[in-house]
Amino acid sequence: MPDQPADAPAMRPDLLDPRAVLLHESAADRAEAIRRCGRVLVEVGAVAESYVDAMLERENSISTYVGEGVAIPHGTAAAKEVVRRDAICVVRFPGGVDWDGERVTLCVGIAAKGDGHVPLLAALADILLDPERARTLREATEVHQVIKELT
Amino acid sequence: MGLHHRTVTVASAAGLHARPAKLFVQEAVRLGVPVRIRAGERTVPATSMLGVLSLGASQGTEVTLESDAPGAEDALDALAALLARDLDAEETLDA
Repeated sequence: MPDQPADAPAMRPDLLDPRAVLLHESAADRAEAIRRCGRVLVEVGAVAESYVDAMLERENSISTYVGEGVAIPHGTAAAKEVVRRDAICVVRFPGGVDWDGERVTLCVGIAAKGDGHVPLLAALADILLDPERARTLREATEVHQVIKELT
Repeated sequence: MGLHHRTVTVASAAGLHARPAKLFVQEAVRLGVPVRIRAGERTVPATSMLGVLSLGASQGTEVTLESDAPGAEDALDALAALLARDLDAEETLDA
């Protein structure tokens, strides 16, 4: 959609199921954190089980760390066929997870068939570029806070 | 020196999102020449992952790269060439 104004990203509210927001998780390492995100996407019916391995594969190929303590794990292009519907999950690790040398406290897991998640990523990036909003999101303790920030 | 620029259409099937964006940013960092990337009204440093993601550039979006730094021409050519490739389709080659 080349005509869409690039500076007005809007996140589709149906992408984030309240059940896909977990704010008090812990993970020993990056792989465990990614599997946790993947499981949430499986549980809300967004992806088939095999998507979780595809998320690990993608991460090994290139880190999904984006900055501000946030990573956006997602599957490989080949795994799009096991995506049932576009969805994201938000999984917070208050204790932090070592992410290839970076410290991650918030994962936004992504399942997307086409490019429907690009506006979503743009909206997330917009939030993270604002230190105040980034902090609110990283330190959120209530599901509704997260949904309000992201949608 | 003057301001140099290249306008290019994003070729990656999934847009300039996570992986293509990261490859683009990594290359911009590696080149070490200050380059800015513009889509619509928004201009961000090519070395900022969050900035590049915030452009929300999907496949087919026209973006402009610009720089007035020494070495701009070569850096712009390299980055424009990267955007003109479908980086998602190449995944199996370098995964």
